Amino acid sequence: MAAGLRAEAMDGTALARLVERVAATQDRAAFGALFDHFAPRVRGFLIRRGLPQAQADELAQETLLAIWRRAGSYDVAKSAVSTWVYTIARNLHIDQYRKLVRAGRVDLTDPSLRPGEAPAADELYARGQDVSAVTEALATLPNDQRRVLELAFMEGLSHSEIALKIALPLGTVKSRIRLAMDKLKLGLGGLQ
Amino acid sequence: MSRRGYFLEESWYLDHAAGAAMTPGQDMLLRSHLEVSPQARAHADSMARIGGALLETVGDESPLAFDAADIFALDAARSQTVAATDDGAETDTASPARSADLPNCLPDVLCEFIDQAGIKLRWEFLGPGLKKAMLWRSEADERLWLLRARPGVAIPHHGHRGAELTLVLQGSFLDGEQRYVRGDVEEADTEVEHDIQIGDGEECICLALTVGKLRFDDPLLRALQVFTGL
Repeated sequence: MAAGLRAEAMDGTALARLVERVAATQDRAAFGALFDHFAPRVRGFLIRRGLPQAQADELAQETLLAIWRRAGSYDVAKSAVSTWVYTIARNLHIDQYRKLVRAGRVDLTDPSLRPGEAPAADELYARGQDVSAVTEALATLPNDQRRVLELAFMEGLSHSEIALKIALPLGTVKSRIRLAMDKLKLGLGGLQ
Repeated sequence: MSRRGYFLEESWYLDHAAGAAMTPGQDMLLRSHLEVSPQARAHADSMARIGGALLETVGDESPLAFDAADIFALDAARSQTVAATDDGAETDTASPARSADLPNCLPDVLCEFIDQAGIKLRWEFLGPGLKKAMLWRSEADERLWLLRARPGVAIPHHGHRGAELTLVLQGSFLDGEQRYVRGDVEEADTEVEHDIQIGDGEECICLALTVGKLRFDDPLLRALQVFTGL
């Protein structure tokens, strides 16, 4: 069964079933399939965040351990598995950063650490449960818009850091992000 | 005048969803807001879907240095450590201990921060019916503090030399015609002059993040600033 699972391309439903099997019966074969799918992605993600290889390996293992241990807390109605895994990896990484801050090893006067100002967008607030709608929408984004989202979500850069990195005015970065959020229907509009 | 409503600017939620670095003050204000405002939390959660979608596109690079068996071994080793010390305090499932002197309305994430930083809340006089307790301050003079205001109290006309974000944790206040309740954030910058009226009934408790000093119009209040440190 596990071999069959590994051979298939993983769609969102298949991944959710695997997590449910891990939660229900601590199914090691199901976890093996999740491992094969996510371990390289999570490690690659952490490397893009700027972690050295050894640390990326270590945090990737912590992420996979959390998947194994906390499978019961995954709620299929709330998010796709990849969003859940992304959030776990992101939180483990940011927790490590907070520890460095507490230990006084991060320069807090660095202006790039401040979130910038962006006018509230007025798009409608759409909350689907499936990541595939976002995936499809991402594929249709112009390269420049997709690039800023990648820098934010993959490399963990703030708006002002992105502006520095791609040598564009902060306003341009913000408007690109706003356009992208608009297309992905993830704007803040419905909140206001 | 820039009245933005009851939420933070979009870039805050996006930075949170993407896990961008923030100062402890920004981090605490944002995470407190997300804890007490279900709408804001749902919004940040929905933005994290971009992260999920992008994670799926990360390509294989060099071969992994570990496999699934290593995860099971790690799990077993951690379980043994916990069993051996017979103490659950080290696990992340332990809920933060809440000291008796912390108001009940404080979000868990803020209690944890206060606890970890070893902060003792010291309520100081800020004005008639107003008290403040400083929580954190940066070298760049960014300050995170708590405000307690008696029901019905008016906070006189003032502006800001920097930006100020105020999150309501208990009670309510009116700024002009806008009413702010638990979970709402008011954002004021140098352009905004505000008159605040604390709502009747319950004591109002807010978490505030300030950059730069407040600027009062009244010379007496300006003189008081020397003592209150705001």
